[in-house]
Amino acid sequence: MTYSDPDDPAPPARPSVRPFLQSGPSSVGGYRPTPSGEPPADDQATTLRPFVITSGRTDGADPEIGMETQVTVNHAATPMRLSPEMRAIVALCGDPLSVAEISARLRLHLGVTRILVGDLRAAGQLDVHVLDNETPDPETIMRVIRGLRAIT
Amino acid sequence: MDFEQSPDHFVGTARVGGRGAPKKAPVPVKIIVAGGFGVGKTTTVGAISEISPLTTEAEMTSESVGIDNPGQATMKTTTTIAMDFGVLTIDQTLKLYIFGTPGQSRFAFMWDDLIKGALGALVVVDTARIDDCYPAVDYFERAGLPFVVGVNTFNGQMNYSLEEVRWALAVRDDVPVLSFDARFRASVRDALLVVLDQALDKAIRARST
Repeated sequence: MTYSDPDDPAPPARPSVRPFLQSGPSSVGGYRPTPSGEPPADDQATTLRPFVITSGRTDGADPEIGMETQVTVNHAATPMRLSPEMRAIVALCGDPLSVAEISARLRLHLGVTRILVGDLRAAGQLDVHVLDNETPDPETIMRVIRGLRAIT
Repeated sequence: MDFEQSPDHFVGTARVGGRGAPKKAPVPVKIIVAGGFGVGKTTTVGAISEISPLTTEAEMTSESVGIDNPGQATMKTTTTIAMDFGVLTIDQTLKLYIFGTPGQSRFAFMWDDLIKGALGALVVVDTARIDDCYPAVDYFERAGLPFVVGVNTFNGQMNYSLEEVRWALAVRDDVPVLSFDARFRASVRDALLVVLDQALDKAIRARST
């Protein structure tokens, strides 16, 4: 496993830059892969290899489930026995959360996260909010433009 | 300001709490920030995101475009890459995600999952290494995704004028080439607004046909 681009230009100390931009191992916001290509073994949420968590599957993630797709807990679901990773996903999704955020917070590979979210959806534990139309309509884009203009 | 209807209901004079109506999930939209290694993609994402940029690992299928061996058949390889992303809440029902894609020189990345449903892309360029962004430009042109070329002036200087950058990249006339500073939120915001402008044009065109 190699990380071909940690994309860490290591900017020199600049007091005007927000602190987390001066990235380093201690920066907030989850782990960053080490440029040496060695997976940070002690920093993993789980020591299992990814295909163990997904019961051997390496693909088959639902194409409807994108990185930004919002996921919430289905409160009406009947409790069932879940793997630790699945329990962690359900515990995170009290408020709507994207698949990418789940992946980052649990330090689970994105592909693994997508498969597990798909399984939890099939089991009725999670609601996956798939958009009706894939490409955003002009009204939505206008709202993004207005919202972006409003920030300073 | 809209007031949500209270989930509580009344039985006689007693007020019975609602069961905590499930929050409606916001609609996610996304913009891609692409470019070569170390051009300031993570800085760009961090400048505009309301959270510290998060990192996720993803599989990327790469297809060698045969720069080194033009005669050879293309070879597909799978690489695990780290991807940074940020979030900006527009309002309670709309969230903007900004995904920074790793630069893969000599690979045309085939990341259809990433651009599916994306509004558009900002290709970040360092004028000292213009060719680093070629794969991203090639990819977005082929995918038909609206994109904008943003020259990052993080070192306070540009080795080439915007016209020269446009000439070097040979992008279509309707692709904006602009300069911005990835360290400053307002500058990144303005660059993203140009991307959204392109996205809006495309969406309106798509609707009228």
